[in-house]
Amino acid sequence: MQAEIADKKEAQVGRWPGTVVARLTARGAARSGVIWGSIFAIAIASSAISYSGIYKTLAQRDALAVAYGSNHATSALLGPAWQLQTVAGFTVFKVSMALMILGAVWGLLTSTRLLRGEEENGRWDLLLAGQTTRRRATAQALGGLAAGVFTLWAVASLVTVLSGLDSKVKIAAGPALYFSTAMVATAVMFLAVGAFCGQLSTSRRQAAGLGSVILGASYALRMVADSSAGLAWLRWATPLGWVEELQPLTRPRPFALVPIVALVIVFALGTLYLAGRRDLGAGTLSDRSNVLTIRQLPTTPLGLAAYLSRSVLLAWAASIFAYGLLLGGIAKSGGKIITSSPSLRSAFARLGVSGADAYLSVALLIMAVALSFVALGQVNAARREESSGQLENLLVRPFSRAVWLVERIALAVAALVLGGLLAGVATWLGAISDHASVKFSSLLSAGLNVSFPALLLFGVGVLVLAVAPRMVSIITYTLFVWFFLVEILGSVVNMNHWILDLSAFHQMAASPAAPIAWTANAVMVAIALVSVGFGVELFRHRDLRGE
Amino acid sequence: MSTTSLAYTSGNKAAASQWAVETHGLTKRFGENVAVNGVELLVPRGCAFGYLGPNGAGKTTTIRLLLGLIQPSEGHGEIFGLDCQRHPIEAHRRLAFVAGEANLWPSLTGAETLHLLGRVQGQVDKAYREELIARFDLDPTKKVRAYSKGNRQKLILIGALMARPDLLVLDEPTSGLDPLMEQAFRHSIHEARERGQTVFLSSHIMSEVEALCDRVGILREGRLVEMGTLAQMRHLSALTVEATFSEGSVPDLSGVPGVSSVQVDGRLVRCQVRGSVEPLLKALVAAGVTELLSREPSLEELFLAQYGVHGKSPDTSHDAS
Ligand SMILES: Nc1ncnc2c1ncn2[C@@H]1O[C@H](COP(=O)(O)OP(=O)(O)OP(=O)(O)O)[C@@H](O)[C@H]1O
Ligand SMILES: [Mg+2]
Repeated sequence: MQAEIADKKEAQVGRWPGTVVARLTARGAARSGVIWGSIFAIAIASSAISYSGIYKTLAQRDALAVAYGSNHATSALLGPAWQLQTVAGFTVFKVSMALMILGAVWGLLTSTRLLRGEEENGRWDLLLAGQTTRRRATAQALGGLAAGVFTLWAVASLVTVLSGLDSKVKIAAGPALYFSTAMVATAVMFLAVGAFCGQLSTSRRQAAGLGSVILGASYALRMVADSSAGLAWLRWATPLGWVEELQPLTRPRPFALVPIVALVIVFALGTLYLAGRRDLGAGTLSDRSNVLTIRQLPTTPLGLAAYLSRSVLLAWAASIFAYGLLLGGIAKSGGKIITSSPSLRSAFARLGVSGADAYLSVALLIMAVALSFVALGQVNAARREESSGQLENLLVRPFSRAVWLVERIALAVAALVLGGLLAGVATWLGAISDHASVKFSSLLSAGLNVSFPALLLFGVGVLVLAVAPRMVSIITYTLFVWFFLVEILGSVVNMNHWILDLSAFHQMAASPAAPIAWTANAVMVAIALVSVGFGVELFRHRDLRGE
Repeated sequence: MSTTSLAYTSGNKAAASQWAVETHGLTKRFGENVAVNGVELLVPRGCAFGYLGPNGAGKTTTIRLLLGLIQPSEGHGEIFGLDCQRHPIEAHRRLAFVAGEANLWPSLTGAETLHLLGRVQGQVDKAYREELIARFDLDPTKKVRAYSKGNRQKLILIGALMARPDLLVLDEPTSGLDPLMEQAFRHSIHEARERGQTVFLSSHIMSEVEALCDRVGILREGRLVEMGTLAQMRHLSALTVEATFSEGSVPDLSGVPGVSSVQVDGRLVRCQVRGSVEPLLKALVAAGVTELLSREPSLEELFLAQYGVHGKSPDTSHDAS
């Protein structure tokens, strides 16, 4: 066994033992770099070459430019549309946002996997075994990642330049290279971001989560910036905006490369700095706590619960925020679509709403669904804490069951209420960026409104947790599916109002289109309170149960 | 029993009870299955109590009842005179528990876990904690998910011992520990006893119970079949005798009064004797015994005898040679 490991190590370390981490990382990164580079290449080439086939006449191209050129809904989603009359402009518009996101995701996943993941698996321990410091190993890994992204860039560039030679496309090699470089820029930036997050976080998963939050925030900011001409300056505040500002093939502005390069350098140096510091106290390379200082430690059960669910809750908050901006940002156009399509209009009329507000109500219904998932996640997390036996560590000490459950409830209620308010604020931000005429107060209360079904679900979940702990997951999810199906089917087929009334999503008024049904909301809160009250009381006197 | 009622009326329950652990008719049913059946336990303060029983006898269930994690179907239990179900917080202030399986939070480090558990416990002897970390050779900077099973077990052991509670409740606490760490554990328990702490130890390792405990209770299918000091139990039980004979003169001892479980192994005869040893000695001398060895039964033998399994365990078999 020992000999086997030694042999393996021997084989991997090879001739230059000092660069083994660099070579292994480069190999891993380059392998996926080739695959993703090809995806980039196919996307760019196919869109460039197909343009001339689809939009043959100048009139068609002008119409395209008019349709998208000043549409805030599409520019919020896909980025600004410049020079759609040309192959180059169209290609940039069509593929750049998707490639930017893909590149960023690739960068995050690759660097967290190859740096944090490999370290977590103990591969580095085996390879290094005292040969080098962690800082040097990290520097090598960064070098390996650079080699990987170079492969991606090379494959994408080669194909871009080649398709530029096509007689119908006609893009010179210089601009083509500039374009492919711009498209790979987010990949480079998020490789660095991922590496940095890997040093901050305590696990690969957490690093990826933290990186995604940064990506989500960059995307959301960019969306705001692109949704109105007056806010275009905001593009300079987000990495995705810098790439847009490069404006390849249309109005190239290479100086936007400055912040991009600066970000990569800063994050790479930050990574090295943290990597070196992590080394200090301990000296070996397995997964240890690094940034958690004594102040940030969870020192109470409530702190622990918050600490353990913080990644999930942050990810939800980021998604709700981004989604609110997105949906709010296309409210006006969305409203128009609803008004102009007879079938949609009648479908929405069944829900009792119409126009732009109708559209916003649907957007917020989606938020209600998202928040319900948060509620389900919270109650199931409480159950998992019990079934895994982790809770016993607290309850065999002088800590009461009731306090544990009440703290858990408080955490969930805070998350759900804040989540609803966040949904309202984000949607409002999105809507005003699209110059839709909506009132802040009405969207804020419409946001709060979507918390109620989630609160109800959570309350009932707590009662189930108390009486039938092993059924928590199945019952709460079934209840949710029931609510959801009734609401969706209710708008399509005529249902008995008793059935409809039993869906929390139906009880929730379609605000802001309809006034908030405070009575229904009060009933939902009352049910939740009674459930929680009984739940806490019954939980105090029941057997703890494992799986 | 009068102590209990006195305790409730005096209002100073904790001070009044002479028992660290006390149960009356403690019963737990899981559907048809009676896991614990009318158990009457009395564990004096300052004593180390070994709680024995085969797999599924109900040891863990008893402990979970005492900790208030599950509710009794009948009867009740008290810790220092505090009802386990009605006053769990007060009772838990005075005890610490180590489970046989450490279910901790994988994303916390050892140090973070100890910190958290100490905060929840409300009392920690910090100097002693550091001493324990050194004694058990634990690296507290590692994450729980990176610990081996034994290291996780050490972590919950330290988490309990560092509180220096009046009562240590231990349910197979050394599962997964290597012999060196087993030594460290025994050392810590001796330390606790010197400080007057009470120990309630459920274990399968007889040598461990023998070395650490002065009282034992044996549980069988949910019923307490034996309880007393080790000395009492030895006295009541049979003596093991091993006799070696010269070639060809091995006698049949099965008819001798008081003798049971006779085993013949070549020239070696092993048997147990209860009551007077005189008839056996006479029979041995008559048959020309060349070597004679007798000893008190080990706890293991007592335990096995309780379950009607006659014979010896692997680690006593080579005592004869
Ligand atoms: N939650 C439960 N539901 C149903 N039966 C249970 C439950 N917990 C324990 N039992 C049953 O109660 C009996 C006693 O189990 P217990 O875990 O107390 O035994 P034990 O003496 O601790 O055994 P071991 O030495 O294996 O740890 C067993 O028959 C077991 O199957
Ligand atoms: Mg057990």
